[in-house]
Amino acid sequence: MFFRMIRGTFVRQWKKMLMIALTIALGASLATAMISVVLDVGDKVNQELKTYGANITVLPKQSSVVSDLYDVEGGSASGGAYLNEDELGNIKTIFWAFNIVDYAPFVNAQASLADGTEVTVVGSWFNHHMELPTGETLDAGMNSLRSWWDVNGAWIDEKSENSGNTAMIGANVAGSQGLSVGDTIHLKGTESEDDFEIVGVYEAGGTEDDEIFVSLSSAQALDGLDGKVDSIEVSALTTPDNELAVKAAKDPKSLTVAQYETWYCTAYVSSICYQIQEVITDSVASPVRQVADSEGAILDKTQLLMILIMILSLIGSALGISNLVTASVMERSGEIGLMKAIGAYNAPVMGLVLTEILGATVIGTVIGFGAGVGFAQIIGQSVFSSSIAIRTMVIPMVAVLMVIVTLAGSIPAIRMLQKLEPAEVLHGR
Amino acid sequence: MSKKKMFVRMITASLVRRKSRMIVALLAIAIGATILSGLVTIYNDVPKQMGAQFRNYGANMIFTSSEGGFSPEEFQEALNILPGDSLVGATPYRYETVRIHEQPIQVAGTDMTGLQKTSPYWSVEGEWPSQSGQILLGEQVAKDLSISIGETTTLTYRPEDEDALDETFDAVVTGIVNTGGKEESYAYISYEDLSLLTGADDTYDLAEISVSASADELQSYVDQIKNGTTAITPSLVKRVTASEATVLSKLQALVLLVTVIVLALTMICVATTMAAVVSERRREIGLRKAIGASDASLIAEFMGEGMLLGAVGGLFGSFLGFAFAQFVSVNVFSSQISLQPLLIPVTVAVSIIVTGAACLIPIRSATKVDPALVLKGE
Repeated sequence: MFFRMIRGTFVRQWKKMLMIALTIALGASLATAMISVVLDVGDKVNQELKTYGANITVLPKQSSVVSDLYDVEGGSASGGAYLNEDELGNIKTIFWAFNIVDYAPFVNAQASLADGTEVTVVGSWFNHHMELPTGETLDAGMNSLRSWWDVNGAWIDEKSENSGNTAMIGANVAGSQGLSVGDTIHLKGTESEDDFEIVGVYEAGGTEDDEIFVSLSSAQALDGLDGKVDSIEVSALTTPDNELAVKAAKDPKSLTVAQYETWYCTAYVSSICYQIQEVITDSVASPVRQVADSEGAILDKTQLLMILIMILSLIGSALGISNLVTASVMERSGEIGLMKAIGAYNAPVMGLVLTEILGATVIGTVIGFGAGVGFAQIIGQSVFSSSIAIRTMVIPMVAVLMVIVTLAGSIPAIRMLQKLEPAEVLHGR
Repeated sequence: MSKKKMFVRMITASLVRRKSRMIVALLAIAIGATILSGLVTIYNDVPKQMGAQFRNYGANMIFTSSEGGFSPEEFQEALNILPGDSLVGATPYRYETVRIHEQPIQVAGTDMTGLQKTSPYWSVEGEWPSQSGQILLGEQVAKDLSISIGETTTLTYRPEDEDALDETFDAVVTGIVNTGGKEESYAYISYEDLSLLTGADDTYDLAEISVSASADELQSYVDQIKNGTTAITPSLVKRVTASEATVLSKLQALVLLVTVIVLALTMICVATTMAAVVSERRREIGLRKAIGASDASLIAEFMGEGMLLGAVGGLFGSFLGFAFAQFVSVNVFSSQISLQPLLIPVTVAVSIIVTGAACLIPIRSATKVDPALVLKGE
């Protein structure tokens, strides 16, 4: 009988039930979309912030002091200490390898142009293709680490055959030497000399405008620095620093074993630096504060902002749903009054009303979840041009939320129903 | 009793007598209006607030000079071209090579308070110098020369005049700065102290400026300064400005899209609740029709009722929404939001339109029904 009555409601009052289910579906889709976006927004924004370039620099242990001091006196670039080119691949083998999105080595060589002008020639990776021991492949290099460069012409393409004889020159060099794309320059290093075709002229808005970029091996050959690297820039996805990270950054040995493990296994910029130092011999990896700290601040703010917007929309959809449930229960006071008049107890009447509403909730939540996933993808595709990952934890979250909301929405209505005097209702007051 | 008075009385009486239902409807509208005004306020404010966060990346404009330096007057003149409220910080620098422990060290004479504003990412162990005779060392310098905080160091400067004696200046190390960049191999003292050491020579080598503005505005400031002053060459720090434009536009698009989706769904929610509240009153409509009310007058009355609710709920919601936006702004960005007066009438108008439209559909279907059938209960 109970089920027959419920079926009766759904068949005869399908319009009302559909309306409840529709509202719940709207609320559920809103909740699904917002929760998914909030859970993923950190990763997405982090990825966007990579346009600011590397957040970690790796230098040889001794040179970091010496080179800059020599720089002050206008001497040669490096103090004689180098990193090993063979070890570059190791960076992609650390614990947080997955978080390393890009990196490139740099080697500085001094060379002179045909007219005797001294220039700094920098060798680096551009679209360097790597096969990793894990079977993955990675294209790393300057193209993405210097995304703010304004390039007239093209980037050096390492996949082309004569990439070793192509160069990109800074806008200042091009200006003072009267060079443009397509010209050929002759560079004379301390060990060897070679001709380079200019494929691009870039404007970097900094000291790099006075430099010439060539492929890593060409720059090494000019100054006889085979297999040597001056510095490495690493761009990694990191977690904003907290107290533990600050403490660890000063001295990892001051941590307890448990703290050390938490720190080592969290993508703090300091733990990634520490792990890089473990795999590159005699290196000092340090966070570029300008990028690392600002990233943390912006990431924190964005996440907090989205969480608050999510809470507002969840409260909104919760109140909206419980409102409608209340309205639709109140509307049926006549029917319920009649049931009570012919002798129904409060408990079964409430059970009936609740079951009906929960039925509509289940249907609505399932439809709403599907729609919410769609909304999340619309947001992901149109804002970040990548899809938003839907985590499994969203499903129970939304389900529990919707059941609680509809039950809570029914409470005032049910209490009112309990107080109904059948005679009054049927009389029409 | 005039017709108008009767109309007003019917509407108010219906609202007062059917208290609980009206509260339900009012609540629904107020929630919708809260979300509308709250999210729109936040969306309006986000570019400004987020832009301020991006100033964390430090200076986005630098002043240099083709003639080897510029005077404080010329610097101030160029700064005056920038609007005061968007200028976050401006720091002039003058570089000199001095000797500490007989090692050559590059010292920057600068404005310490300005420096903290243009380079907020500097991590200083100890204190920033706050008075004359104090110095801030880069981490590399401190490590290399083994100087720690609290020690007094002597800066030695050799004047260009070959016969002159070396000038010396004693300074207490108040802090050590870590940036992960070139700054770590410099030392920083106040501009006045550097002038004392090297002999007064009123020029700045360069200046870092942090301006909160969009890419186009920045470019126009650069052009204005270029045309307005002769000694200073302004240029944008491409790395900061180009990246900020990319990331900020994405964030703005994100908030916009979320706002639109949340609003659309909330408005549909409000509409269904209103529709439920109205369709409950079919009997009443039937009765009115039976005693001779015209369809038009019925629609007018119900719409009037709905719109009144919309207006009250909208007004209520626009203030609640502002309170929410204020809460977000204070918690996320630690700054106050200013009330946008235009948003209140807009919120009220949207609430009225949404509730009016939501009422219209069930009322029209109710008025089409034969009164006899409705009253009989079929």
